Amino acid sequence: MAAAAPVIEIPAPHDTVAAKIVRAIARGPVHIVLIVLGLAWLVPTIGLFITSILPASVDASSGWWTIFSHPSLATWANYHALFKNAGLVTALKTTAYIAVGNTLLVVVLGAMAGYAFAWLDFPGRDWFFIGVIGLLVVPLQMALIPMFKLYDTFGLFDTWEGIALFHVAFGLPFAIFLLRNFFVGLPKDILESARIDGANEIVIFLRLILPLGLPAIASLAIFQFLWTWNDLLVALTFGQNTTPITVWIAGQLREFGSSIDIIAPASFISLVIPLAVFLAFQRYFVQGLLAGSVK
Amino acid sequence: MTAGGITAEPPLAAAPPPPADQGGRLGRYIVGAFFLAPALFMLGVWMVYPAVYTIIRSFFGPTGFIGHWVAFDNYKTLFTTSNLTTAIKNNAIWVAVVPAMVTAVGLVFAVLTERVRWAVAFKTAVFLPMAISAFATGVTWRIMYQQDPNLGAINALGKTVSGIFSPAGPLQSALPSTPALVPKGGGMILKTPLRPGGVALLGVTGIPPDQVPKSSVQAVTPPSKDGEIVGTVWRDFKPGGGKPGVVEKGELGLGGVTVQLENAAGKVVQSTKSKSDGSFIFSKVSSGTYNAGIGAQTFAKPFAGYAWIGPNLIVPSLLIAYIWIWAGFAMVVIGAGLAAMPRDVLEAARTDGATEWQTFRRVTVPLLAPVLSVVFVTMIINVLKVFDIVYALAPESEYAKANVIALAMYFTAFQGAGDFGVGSAIAVFLFLLVIPVLALNIRRFKREV
Amino acid sequence: MTRTRVAIVAVTVVTALLAAGLAGARTSSHLSGNASIKGTITFDGIWTSSSGQKQFQDIINAFNKVYPNVHVNYKPVGNNLPTVLSTAVAGGHPPDMADIAQPGTIAQFVKEGKLKPITYAKSTIAKNFAPAWQQLGTYSGKLYALVFKAANKSVVWYNVPAFKAAGVTPPKTFAQLLKDAQTIKASGTPAYSIGGGEGWTLTDMFENIYLRTFGAAKYDALSQHKIKWTDSSVTTALNSMAKILGDTSNIAGGTSGALQDSFNQSVTNAFSSPPKAAMVFEADFVGGVITSSTKAKPGTGFNTFAWPSITPGPDASAVEIAGDLFVTFRDNPAIEAFVKYLASAQAAEIWAKQGGFGTGNHNVPASIYPDPITKATEAPILTAKSVVFDMSDNQPPAFGATAGQGEWGLFQDFLKNPADISGIQKQLETAAAAAYKK
Repeated sequence: MAAAAPVIEIPAPHDTVAAKIVRAIARGPVHIVLIVLGLAWLVPTIGLFITSILPASVDASSGWWTIFSHPSLATWANYHALFKNAGLVTALKTTAYIAVGNTLLVVVLGAMAGYAFAWLDFPGRDWFFIGVIGLLVVPLQMALIPMFKLYDTFGLFDTWEGIALFHVAFGLPFAIFLLRNFFVGLPKDILESARIDGANEIVIFLRLILPLGLPAIASLAIFQFLWTWNDLLVALTFGQNTTPITVWIAGQLREFGSSIDIIAPASFISLVIPLAVFLAFQRYFVQGLLAGSVK
Repeated sequence: MTAGGITAEPPLAAAPPPPADQGGRLGRYIVGAFFLAPALFMLGVWMVYPAVYTIIRSFFGPTGFIGHWVAFDNYKTLFTTSNLTTAIKNNAIWVAVVPAMVTAVGLVFAVLTERVRWAVAFKTAVFLPMAISAFATGVTWRIMYQQDPNLGAINALGKTVSGIFSPAGPLQSALPSTPALVPKGGGMILKTPLRPGGVALLGVTGIPPDQVPKSSVQAVTPPSKDGEIVGTVWRDFKPGGGKPGVVEKGELGLGGVTVQLENAAGKVVQSTKSKSDGSFIFSKVSSGTYNAGIGAQTFAKPFAGYAWIGPNLIVPSLLIAYIWIWAGFAMVVIGAGLAAMPRDVLEAARTDGATEWQTFRRVTVPLLAPVLSVVFVTMIINVLKVFDIVYALAPESEYAKANVIALAMYFTAFQGAGDFGVGSAIAVFLFLLVIPVLALNIRRFKREV
Repeated sequence: MTRTRVAIVAVTVVTALLAAGLAGARTSSHLSGNASIKGTITFDGIWTSSSGQKQFQDIINAFNKVYPNVHVNYKPVGNNLPTVLSTAVAGGHPPDMADIAQPGTIAQFVKEGKLKPITYAKSTIAKNFAPAWQQLGTYSGKLYALVFKAANKSVVWYNVPAFKAAGVTPPKTFAQLLKDAQTIKASGTPAYSIGGGEGWTLTDMFENIYLRTFGAAKYDALSQHKIKWTDSSVTTALNSMAKILGDTSNIAGGTSGALQDSFNQSVTNAFSSPPKAAMVFEADFVGGVITSSTKAKPGTGFNTFAWPSITPGPDASAVEIAGDLFVTFRDNPAIEAFVKYLASAQAAEIWAKQGGFGTGNHNVPASIYPDPITKATEAPILTAKSVVFDMSDNQPPAFGATAGQGEWGLFQDFLKNPADISGIQKQLETAAAAAYKK
């Protein structure tokens, strides 16, 4: 190994003033780039939000940026109108059942299958795995019709469980793909020594794989929750009275006439919870979480 | 407890050592089955069964299974209808552009935000688009893309910028009121030549009331005088139309308009501005013939906006909106991969003298390869299936140009009474398109082992 | 859910009992035995809470006063209805009743044997509707659909201040309309606001022109493809239409703007201030869009006039309608009672008096409409000498009602290039022939 040449790196091991300044300068461009990009990314979303606090007639005749010259136009009336509508809270509750229920199941089943594909050996394993990835392509719309007859037979029609199970199945290919590829990158020697020590697979799975795989599991959970929170088609097709938030919003839209004064505020009300989930799970993305956990 | 020798080679999917003393092969099968069975059951019922159903359905006619076997007719229809060939071409563009862009952008964002304390704020900004429903995203970007600069954000910005460099004239939509006035070089000119003592009547219409200058008063024609050419430029309209070409009561003069006098050779010899009653006078006019007209700067049109959701730009506009949504997905998943990276390997590389860039390229990216491949492959398949954003963002008149396979399938199978036979055939075609993607993955597995 | 299962069992039991010999109760069920009719009816409808669900619920509530034990379970699906319905039907699990706007779709369902006839309601419908309306609901010789709600599509909405500034009054003839459009253009506002981003606004314009030029009989012949799209009558109509579509400087946003504008956008264009155009050709439901998306007020800001006549004669003021047709996928006493109730004048009046509702039920008095503009747009449905159904809705859906294809797509191509009339005719005929062949 060559003698280490002095390199300026982030984070620097020394904390002198000079080192701090150097660090700041090196970070400067990164900060600026991120700020510019972040703001640019936010523009359409901010646009949607401003649209939601403008009355419908203003939305239709001028752009949302006119609020900067006419701030008095802003109003919460669109939001009030939504909250006054009966069924919003029930819709949110139903959505929560469906979203939480199916996410839990996807995480558990996906982790188990991902572990099997990553670290268990059985014949045809790789072909099976390719098949699972291939299932990613099955479009949701084509599965609706065949499932109708099945749902009728088992009485799953118009139940939140029926809708949730649909989402579990469609979330599994991605879940298995992600978790298997993630588990495969875990340090092999840890598993080896655990096996040598005589631990059985279930213990390895629960005590080693799951904790080590937390970042991937967290990101899977965020997205599975999100995708099912925002799903309209399955709930609309398989529900009659079961009304998650997306179906509820669809039932508010006008037949003719722009419904932007409904869609915009409803989108923001609806995105609060997935955003909260996202923020809550951020702690699993801290690097170095695993340093030392191995011992 | 690290194995001897730090290497930058990532521990990819090699066959692990068989679990010792687990009851031999049977035990291995049982364990494998236990872990796999629930997931495989759900996949079998909810995905494999419908996939098989769809494949079989694609060989039947529009109305059902009983006695409507049409063999490969549906597939023939598939390839001979022109809207599907456009769809295939478009999906190819999507596949070529989007997965690479999304993965790259996500990777850059994930790596950059590692080093910043306020990473969560940035990540939230980039993640938000994923949290908005596809339909609302379509609406959001419609607002961005509208052609009318009063309604579309991007074109509004364009209008502000272009207004600085080439400001709009006072009469942007004016038209001549009589055939005597003809367009010339951006302005208008009176066809019949005039001599000194002549009167030029420049009547224009098509001026909305809010473009009439506030100081305008009843139009007046000054009396003609020797050695002068006089005239009026006025809004030749009163309710009901009025007589074109004649200054009537109730018609307003247009002040502040640049009026020019061209000599017989076409050179502008005099230029003046009309008064608030529309009248103007060219004095000291030597003998000869002249043509009077209105300068081009009067009619300078404001920035009209690009047609982002018009036929030429619709596909790139869709791609941009889609990348805007999905970069957050890539960033979060790759961020998870970064979070789980063993720090000791990175530290060792750094103490070995590698620069940041070298560490990134030789250590970080290879270690991230499995996660990157998940993002990339998932995006390829998502993009083959893309539907929501095209349906919500593209105007109906551009569906043909922006068509994608899933949209074609939707309209064939689900609109009106629908033809599920052809719709199923399109779905099967979609299944087949994934095979190259899978083949690539198989090759990569073989390489890893 | 189990509740539906119980309901289905209950209905089966009741039906069985009736069949087993509760004779005679059916004909006099109007007054007696209403409480004995039990059941749940699932109804998939297009009306949402902001566009008619409340009014329809009022009708359901009134129905429950007469039949207290029938529970109508209304599902507001909104504009996704065709998708959801076709999926449910193909999946073998349709709702009991549904609202379908395209007779072409109904014809398809009848061919596939998915619908139950409503012959039991024949006498009620005959009492309330002229034979033409019954004909609209008849397929393959049997009565399958009730035309519950009708929308008058032969209406033009105009911006009152813009017309006043231009000094024009609502034109009575097409020639006058074209002349007035030039005057309006000279006054500084484009005359036409066209929502060409959605093909049906263009087909509606064509259909009104064709109807007024050639009359209801020829219109119906073209509807049923007895006349080809390459016929000279179609050429004449397209020529007239090109006089509007080709007048590019008179369209809000020009041709490219018209192609991108949705129907909603075309309405707000005409009634924003300042307006981007002076008039919109479309149906009675435009009024609702104006009040919800703009600040224009009835009478002072916006008003309507009937589609101008072209060829003088009895069909000069014919009315083209679109409608909401109710169909049934199952048959039981609860459904029968509900259908018969919906065909009555009482049901129609509950909605009509709240506005936004047109009907062919001639027992509904014109006085019931709440304001002059509503009356002006809805009353002609009953008073017009001829009423025809929206031609594109009557076609096979692949030709008449698919975004970007068939009629809708081709008329958008026509908007792009109004000069190429024979080319468009050939393409229309090819597409129609293909759709009718199936």
